[in-house]
Amino acid sequence: MTRRPVDTGDPDRLYTVTAGRSHAEGSFDLVTLIVSECRPTAGMQSEHARILELCEHPTAVVEIAAELKLPITVVRILLGDLLDMGRITARHPRAAQSVASLPDSALLKEVLHGLRNL
Amino acid sequence: MSVPAPPSQHRPAKAPRTSPTTPLAVLVVSAAAGGGAVALAPSGARTWALAVAAVAWVCVAATVVVSHQLVQRARRTAAAQTSETGQLKAQSAQMLAQITSLANVTLPAVAQQLRDGTSAADVLSSVPLPSDPLLGRIVHTFAAAVEEDVRHAVALEGERQQARSELNEVAAALDQLTQETLLAAVARLREGQSADTVLAELDLPRLPMVRIPAESFIRELARSERRAAAGQAASAKALSRVQAKSVSMLADLRDMQERHGEEVFGDLLKLDHSTSQLGLMTDRLALLMGGRSSRAWNKPIVMESILRGAVGRIAAYQRVRLHCSTTAAISGFAAEGVMHLLAELMDNAANFSPPIDEVHVYVEDRSAGMVVTIEDSGLKMADAAMRHAEEAVSGRMTDLASLQGTRLGLAVVGRLAAKYGISVNYRPSSRGGTGVVVLLPPQLLAQQRESVSRAATDHPTPAPAPAPAPEPTSRPGVPERPAARPELPEQRQPRRATDSTPNGLPVRAPGRTMAEAEREREQRRSVSRTADEDRPESGAGEQRPARDAGARFGAFHRGRRSAIGAAKPDARSEAGGIAKPDARPETGGTAEPDARPGSEPPVAP
Repeated sequence: MTRRPVDTGDPDRLYTVTAGRSHAEGSFDLVTLIVSECRPTAGMQSEHARILELCEHPTAVVEIAAELKLPITVVRILLGDLLDMGRITARHPRAAQSVASLPDSALLKEVLHGLRNL
Repeated sequence: MSVPAPPSQHRPAKAPRTSPTTPLAVLVVSAAAGGGAVALAPSGARTWALAVAAVAWVCVAATVVVSHQLVQRARRTAAAQTSETGQLKAQSAQMLAQITSLANVTLPAVAQQLRDGTSAADVLSSVPLPSDPLLGRIVHTFAAAVEEDVRHAVALEGERQQARSELNEVAAALDQLTQETLLAAVARLREGQSADTVLAELDLPRLPMVRIPAESFIRELARSERRAAAGQAASAKALSRVQAKSVSMLADLRDMQERHGEEVFGDLLKLDHSTSQLGLMTDRLALLMGGRSSRAWNKPIVMESILRGAVGRIAAYQRVRLHCSTTAAISGFAAEGVMHLLAELMDNAANFSPPIDEVHVYVEDRSAGMVVTIEDSGLKMADAAMRHAEEAVSGRMTDLASLQGTRLGLAVVGRLAAKYGISVNYRPSSRGGTGVVVLLPPQLLAQQRESVSRAATDHPTPAPAPAPAPEPTSRPGVPERPAARPELPEQRQPRRATDSTPNGLPVRAPGRTMAEAEREREQRRSVSRTADEDRPESGAGEQRPARDAGARFGAFHRGRRSAIGAAKPDARSEAGGIAKPDARPETGGTAEPDARPGSEPPVAP
């Protein structure tokens, strides 16, 4: 019998992380900004604790998902839990005005080019 | 013993002595009376009187004489009869004496001599025979009968002795067979030797009566051993394919869960759960069949993941409440075994408690090791059932023959417990049901806590080092790493130094290559991130190793935030489009390959 390659992933399946839920209740979209309202406490689910640590500064949902290496749906379920417990606050970015106030992409490209030339 | 003659003999000798006097006296008296009568008679009648007297006397005399003679004759007859009686009595006494001596002396002597082996003729010539021919015949007959019997008895005794010795021989052979030969045969057959080899090597008893059944027994045993071994091997082989399939299915499912949206996520989770349960069943069978688990971990797994990995494999996972606040981790080599063991125990607890009740799992970190308590609030187990369960989980019964029906889980628990030195104990639960206390010995635990404190100190940010702190999350300033769980390189250092051959060559544990590769990658990643955070204004994008798009996005966000300030945090709303979690990393100039963890070769430090 040949030796099988060892597993490098994590043993916990996603339904154990979400306790069997597959639908997010809250209205989080990918760019909703999350800010934690308290520090992680002992005995907390480790994903909750990491979200709270991560969101000491406002952080987007998609970024949390990338850091936690979890699908967006799972992160939204977890964020829903934390929101229900009042441990985080969520804020939606104001898309319309911010697009208007942004510099256009040509300018950004120029800046990038200039930075690379430094 | 001589019988005395009866002393009842009459003495009739007195009669002949007295007999003559009485008739004479009668005659004299009668004569005198006649004379007197004649004398007294008147003279005229004297003649008649004389005549009458004379006639009367003659009559009397004649009567007396006749009677006297009759008496004499009778006396003689009596005397003759008396003497004959005496003679017969003497004869009978003699006979009695002979019979007595025959019964008391002769016959016992004859019997004794015959028993001593003398022939009947010799015995009869040496013994004084009774003069009576009848008695003599009796003695002869007796001697012949006894001789015959003695011969018979001797023959029987010989046969008995022979049978006895044969029996002893057979018993000794059987004894040796059962005590030594068969045990040795069974041991060798278990080692996989063939029946012919075993029969040739072993010293079987020569007696055909024992040898033939022993041979057939050994051959039959060899056949059944071969059958069992072949069955086990075939099962393990087939199961290993099923295991590989289920593992790849789990990987595929995880991949799909990343790629697909919420509309199929629930279905994928359901499939994932079913596949995980399938994996548990397959692993259970594989372990019983001498195979191996479907998975193996090359890094320590923290207790929370162990518990989740265990609970995810059982049907009623939503009824299990995990209470785990420790950060300790189980070493990779034991992680799968511990997970399977806990899964079996949780499955048992969930199956044997009402479907509405919860099963609680507590983890305590003690000096003796990690204590995991699984408590259900179902029915209390009966004493016999608890004893049976204790017996099963003790790992003493590793024979497949001890399996009972479809209750295989506890047998697997017993094997795993014996393999890893885990103690599993049943006790009544304080919640009313049954509790299982699992003690994971310290050698199964990875030294996670020290690595946490070192990880805190090797970072420039001053951080409190919560060495044995139970909560992993109270570490301000330490950047959260996705792989803070695995051991950190600093911690492996001393172990690597001690693992060496006597000649000083380093020894690498199996499965370590991928672990090191993984560690190297994580280390580089964390270093680059640290640099990224320390110099946010230096345009760190080019030095950073390429990660997936979300991570790059996050770093970009942090860099921008510290450079520009939090005034315009919304400037990246269009970036959601690139935040697909499975986006391929850009192949930048300095990007290290990030395709699959563990697929890269180990990099020398």
